[in-house]
Amino acid sequence: MTGPLSMLNPGWLMIAVGLAALFLPMRRVRQGLTIATPIIAIILLALADQNVNHLGVQALGIDFIFYRVDGLSFIFGLAFLLAALLNAIYAWHTDDRLQDGMAMAYAGAAVAATFSGDMMSLFVFWELTAITSVFLILRAGTRAAYFASMRYLAIQILSGVLLLAGIAYVYHSRGDLSVQAFTSLKEPGAILVFIALGIKAAFPFLHNWLQDSYPKATVVGAVVLSAFTTKLAVYAFARMFPGHDALIWIGAVMTVFPVFFAVIENDLRKVLAYSLNNQVGFMICAIGLGATGVGDALALNGASAHAFCHIIYKGLLFMSMGAVMYRTGTTKASELGGLYKSMPWTTVFCIIGAMSISAFPLFSGFAAKSLTMSAVGHEGYTIVWLMLLFASAGVLEHSGIKIPYFAFFGHDSGKRVKEAPFNMLLAMGLAAFICIAVGIPAIVPGLGYEWLYNLLPYREEAMAYNPFTLDHVLTQMQLLVLAIFAFVMLKRLGWYPPEKPGVVLDTDWVYRKAGYGLFTWAGTIWQKAGPAMTAVFFKLTGRAYDRIEDTFSPRGELARGGLGSAMAIWTAILLGLVLLLAFITSS
Amino acid sequence: MSDETPNDTRDSNGRFVKRAAETAHRLHTPSEEGVHPMAKILFGWTENKRTGTLIFWGFAILSMVLIVADLAIPRHEYVEIAHATGFYALWGFASFAFVVLMGWPLGRLLRRKEDYYGEPGGPPADIDPDVPVEPSTEGTYVYEGDED
Repeated sequence: MTGPLSMLNPGWLMIAVGLAALFLPMRRVRQGLTIATPIIAIILLALADQNVNHLGVQALGIDFIFYRVDGLSFIFGLAFLLAALLNAIYAWHTDDRLQDGMAMAYAGAAVAATFSGDMMSLFVFWELTAITSVFLILRAGTRAAYFASMRYLAIQILSGVLLLAGIAYVYHSRGDLSVQAFTSLKEPGAILVFIALGIKAAFPFLHNWLQDSYPKATVVGAVVLSAFTTKLAVYAFARMFPGHDALIWIGAVMTVFPVFFAVIENDLRKVLAYSLNNQVGFMICAIGLGATGVGDALALNGASAHAFCHIIYKGLLFMSMGAVMYRTGTTKASELGGLYKSMPWTTVFCIIGAMSISAFPLFSGFAAKSLTMSAVGHEGYTIVWLMLLFASAGVLEHSGIKIPYFAFFGHDSGKRVKEAPFNMLLAMGLAAFICIAVGIPAIVPGLGYEWLYNLLPYREEAMAYNPFTLDHVLTQMQLLVLAIFAFVMLKRLGWYPPEKPGVVLDTDWVYRKAGYGLFTWAGTIWQKAGPAMTAVFFKLTGRAYDRIEDTFSPRGELARGGLGSAMAIWTAILLGLVLLLAFITSS
Repeated sequence: MSDETPNDTRDSNGRFVKRAAETAHRLHTPSEEGVHPMAKILFGWTENKRTGTLIFWGFAILSMVLIVADLAIPRHEYVEIAHATGFYALWGFASFAFVVLMGWPLGRLLRRKEDYYGEPGGPPADIDPDVPVEPSTEGTYVYEGDED
């Protein structure tokens, strides 16, 4: 494709439309735009040539590359655009200019960052995702959401600042800002960039902004948030740190620890936030394998395919919990149950999302996760492989069973509500369709999972891989069926821990309780110490002033008695001192 | 509805318009108890008292079948330990049970009251306006700057 349109980064288009939507009072026109724009953007992307710089500018001695598509950015960009489309449909029942506009600009910023070829543009859109997305949390209107959004913003901006500092080092050492892989973490600036990306990818101990803010966002906002920020970080890792061993272990830990929190968490949207953490762990682990050998293509394909499927099924799960929140006003497991009676369609779609994330054969998670698991096994990381397998059973527990079971089945809460609005059902239905469409075998060549594999960065290697071998399906079914059997058995024995209301402490305790306490304490101390120190200072200076005044002022000691005795004596002493000094220094 | 439906309720293809419309209407209107008609069709089976037992034994038998099938199907594995018969089954069962049972001690260790960090916060502003509003806890928490 040629002409000016071919130079337009689809993300820029979405940002422009999003900003315009902020000022568009006509509701249906605005919503029509938010649905049409992602479709246009997908067409623009499909027509764009790959591995070409479509738009670049040279300024201040730096080559800015504003629009560049290649295999890796294509699949992430496409997933972002599909998510933006589904989100716009999901938001059709609302009438909120700020939310519509910011959701679109947020999606646009993520897409624009994905297609940026230089680190400076990446940084600008990196920050833009933070600034636009915070409104989706603020819009919830509760005080808890306000505080959470401020914490969210602070941490996101910190990530941006670290990235910018890292970029400065990189520019100094390379003299060039194009986005390229770091060969080692010892490179100047590499560690800063690594931490900046790690914050957005919600690495262990840096993860709590996610569980803190997403469950407090609006119904629509949580769905929008689930798609972009973390997956943009995954993309950036795949771009800049493929094959760094540290990522293998960080990713493996990331898959395991959220499992335990998700089991005891009562708020189902927060359970999904933990589950998001766990899923991103799989991608990070795969990226870490990136360049270690034969697994190279397999692992990076795995991360990309997983990100694509994950954006859709995680969105679907957040949508179903959003529908529950919309109709009942809560997503607490202890207050829900038996909702299938009034929301059967939402139940069906939630189960499809749950089966996808649990990687049942015939659903999208299976086609994607298999690549990563094979890569890890292939490279001989037995412990990591066992950790990921453990985490797979964990995903089944919290996302596959807990979410649908406690919301829609389980103990009947007696809540009888209306089914979700049609637009929500439509968005969920489309997402569920994608989950199944990319999960089924390629009965028609090029469709089914092959459609997805065809879009992966290492296309030929992906097409040579077949997830539907008999032994693979068997082992996956063994894992899942026996895990479900464990659930059924523990439930029957009454050993399954009951859902109880309450907050679960996590590492955010460090700044929300200990850090906050420390600062409040320091504040109290300062309130007392400050005035006390001021008083001491004024007392000392006041006393000195008084003395000086007593001596030198017109009423003072020296002025007393005219040019008499005291002044003569003092002048003589001073003169003597000067002479003495001169004598000492000259000798 | 009687069988002597007047002809004017048929469309040009001879279908009973009214009946079709009524069926469609019935499938979208919740009963007086608020139960969606599709719920009975899709998930009515879960209400059966014996379903629990059936699911338990169903999964028990399926688990056995899958493990036995393991003996017959040659597997291609990268990891040494995975060659053991029923390895995946055992690992899945053990992982799941471990995670769930850890919920007891971890819950005791980490669960605090809902207002541990201050006001827990209610539902977001964009929920269905028809949801009955519960008495809000807002205002019972005092923040810095509230007094002005």
